[in-house]
Amino acid sequence: MKNLSRSFSLSLVAAGLLSSGFASAQSLAIVNATLHTSTEQGILENASIIMDNGKITAINPTQVQADKVIDAKGQIVTPGFISSINQLGLVEVSAVAGSRDAGEEKAGIDFDVSLAYNAHSSLIPYARKGGVTRDVITPHGGDSIFAGLASVVDLSGSFDSDIQKQAALIVDLGERRKGSRAFTLQTLMNKLEEHQRKASKKSKKDDDSKPSTEDKVMAKVLSGQMPLVVGVSRAADIVELLKVKKQFGIKLVLNGAQDAVVVKEKLAQAQVPVIISAMDSLPSSFDSLHASLDNAAVLEKAGVKVILTVGGDASHNIYQLRFDAGNAVSYGMSQHGALKAVTSNVADVFGINAGRLEVGKAADVVVWSNDPFELSSHVNTMIINGEEVSTQSRQDKLRDRYTTESTMPRAYTK
Amino acid sequence: MQKFAPSLLAVGLAAALVGCQENGPQNPKITINKNPYPSTYKPVAISSTLITNATVLTGTGERLDDTDVLLVDGKVKQVGKDLSADADTTIDAMGKWVTPGIIDVHSHLGAYPSPSVESHQDGNEMTSPNTAEVWVEHSVWPQDPGFNRAREGGITSLQILPGSANLFGGRGVTLKNVPAHTMQAMKFPDAPNGLKMACGENPKRVYGRQGTLPSTRMGNMAGYRMAWAEAQEYKRAWDKYDADYEAGLNPEAPIRDIKHDTLRAVLEGEVLIHNHCYKAEEMAMMIDLSKEFNYHAGTFHHGVEAYKIADLLADNGSCAALWPDWWGFKMEAYDMVQENVAIVDAVKNSCAIVHSDSDTTIQRLNQEAGKVMYRANENGFDISEQHAIKWITSNAAKSLGIDDKTGSLEAGKQGDVVIWNQSPFSVYAKAEQVFVDGAKVYDRNDSAFQAQSDFMLGQQ
Repeated sequence: MKNLSRSFSLSLVAAGLLSSGFASAQSLAIVNATLHTSTEQGILENASIIMDNGKITAINPTQVQADKVIDAKGQIVTPGFISSINQLGLVEVSAVAGSRDAGEEKAGIDFDVSLAYNAHSSLIPYARKGGVTRDVITPHGGDSIFAGLASVVDLSGSFDSDIQKQAALIVDLGERRKGSRAFTLQTLMNKLEEHQRKASKKSKKDDDSKPSTEDKVMAKVLSGQMPLVVGVSRAADIVELLKVKKQFGIKLVLNGAQDAVVVKEKLAQAQVPVIISAMDSLPSSFDSLHASLDNAAVLEKAGVKVILTVGGDASHNIYQLRFDAGNAVSYGMSQHGALKAVTSNVADVFGINAGRLEVGKAADVVVWSNDPFELSSHVNTMIINGEEVSTQSRQDKLRDRYTTESTMPRAYTK
Repeated sequence: MQKFAPSLLAVGLAAALVGCQENGPQNPKITINKNPYPSTYKPVAISSTLITNATVLTGTGERLDDTDVLLVDGKVKQVGKDLSADADTTIDAMGKWVTPGIIDVHSHLGAYPSPSVESHQDGNEMTSPNTAEVWVEHSVWPQDPGFNRAREGGITSLQILPGSANLFGGRGVTLKNVPAHTMQAMKFPDAPNGLKMACGENPKRVYGRQGTLPSTRMGNMAGYRMAWAEAQEYKRAWDKYDADYEAGLNPEAPIRDIKHDTLRAVLEGEVLIHNHCYKAEEMAMMIDLSKEFNYHAGTFHHGVEAYKIADLLADNGSCAALWPDWWGFKMEAYDMVQENVAIVDAVKNSCAIVHSDSDTTIQRLNQEAGKVMYRANENGFDISEQHAIKWITSNAAKSLGIDDKTGSLEAGKQGDVVIWNQSPFSVYAKAEQVFVDGAKVYDRNDSAFQAQSDFMLGQQ
């Protein structure tokens, strides 16, 4: 039971002053829960989970000891969901240029978009309604095929948010508005070759010149430490990319990938994870003729690691992720597979210490009223880094203002 | 004729009236063909079908358990328990749910089809703020694979609208969602045309960039008012021509103007307004505008702030066709609440609708309505499934002026029906069989009833 020991060194006052972030002053237990662990343990009935210092410290201990105990009364408890490939905290209103910080014309490999992350964005509390506790934010939209670096943020909405930088390098390939896609693939290959040469020169000559950020990033990509997330859809392009992966030994991840199903066996064999929207069902271009509601299921069955992401204006609709997962299940994906696709699979690909109900993982935990993928369910309790957070947003305030009777103008209802 | 002076139309009319010989023998009467591209729609096949033992949401607010629905001659013949009928086909729908065919009042399928390549951008005539002369039916590509996907989601009727770049975007068209290779073969017989209008950011952005009116919201209002003033003059000219002709005179007909034909048809109640408009204060002004020029303000589309003026919308008899939760893509879409549809719906004489404006969410309008129902019920509302289904069936039919034909399961209505594997308000709900005018047009378990677009045929 050593995991249950807690430090009393923080006074209650100090604890109160701590905004949500890394260390929680209070230990927390959820009991009588149905734990959907997203691990090999699967589903644990009538189980308990203990959290302390921001981490999960025990699952089903023989004795529950904690400062606060939440009785889940048989409700479903899951790891907080992890969304990805969106601009949460980097945009407020898409059409308001001054509120958009995800894209930079001159951006390249070293572009760190997380410097613009706004933990007080109104999109964050709204996203929490969907049981999302962590998110992979990504840059997009420069002139280069290299959009920049992804970061992982927690959704505490605090300026002390846990931000894990350099989680992936984002590359955009596939169809172009003008020019040839061959050129973009060549650009990628040339860049990989350039840095491969640099690395070998460095080791030979004992070069002690300081490496640039780009050098460091590309070294991590070439060593397979940092995933290269490539936006691509067409099967022929995916086949070419698999050759690049083989040649350079990179950790390739596909994003979009509407036609990945065409080459699913190759992807499974090469252990390339695929990030898709479960709702893509139309041939929006000649690159995506195989978009279909059952793609997530087909890829899962072929043994491909699937991550589900929200398509379209993802940043404002992250809360929708759980419904997308439900639709994926409706079209053949396993419940467990869909849960992994919004939790542990994302964690594995981006190196996030969360996404599982497992000792040592970040205490990102959600108590649901019901099946988390159903339209009828909602979040009852959300815990991020071991601290309870609210799912109330300004949308709730607006609703209450206009549904509360008052003799005064609405503006006085706050 | 002085009051005509500012407009080109007026110049045309004045010229036309110069040579008028009002007292001679009458020339043949000039009449305008109001239906020059008539529907050629025919139901796919007609046979009688008895659906038994289903949970039926009628679309009129009723839920009938363990109930049968009989379709004969393309129509709903009977809804009731233990119907004894000798139908060509009997479907055991024990454990399944049956609803009217789903209707989407706001779609761009066919006009902005898949694949969304340059050659397919046919939804917005962005060359003038008033293009009331364009008819979106002339842009519809019937091979859009999106029609098939929508049918698989239970959509049996849908209105295709032009985009929202213009103050007046042009006429919309209501279609039966049946596979066809001409637009006319999909056209919903005797459905009124719509006229797309747009408030707010889009028109002022598109034309402001070009340095022409409108570049502001007041410019938007000025644009509508000038157009309606012209349309009134046009209508007066035709009314006078008709009256003079009836009186035995030989008046010269006004010069035909396609743009003003459409606006005149609105003033005469033949074409229904469908107004892209997000904000409370703008919808309130659009209602006053309609009163200023004596037409009905019609249905407000998107209405992200409709919940702020729910009373006003109901008082005006305006439907509001809304998303459950789209927001944040523009300033005018910032004040979304997830209960918008429910708040609008809660007022007496309301007409709340869930619409898609999307080639993807049109495939699950049932889920879109479900999201609203559940979020509202978590926050003090008490909305039943039999009520919520109206948002995507009978209320939608009312908005399109086809509620006497479809949108509910009542004897005599068109046999537009969906059989669902379970309650349609579940994320796991799927349309299993879809009927349009009594004919099966989709079957999830029978590839013979799964249509494929020409475009997709033979693709690898």
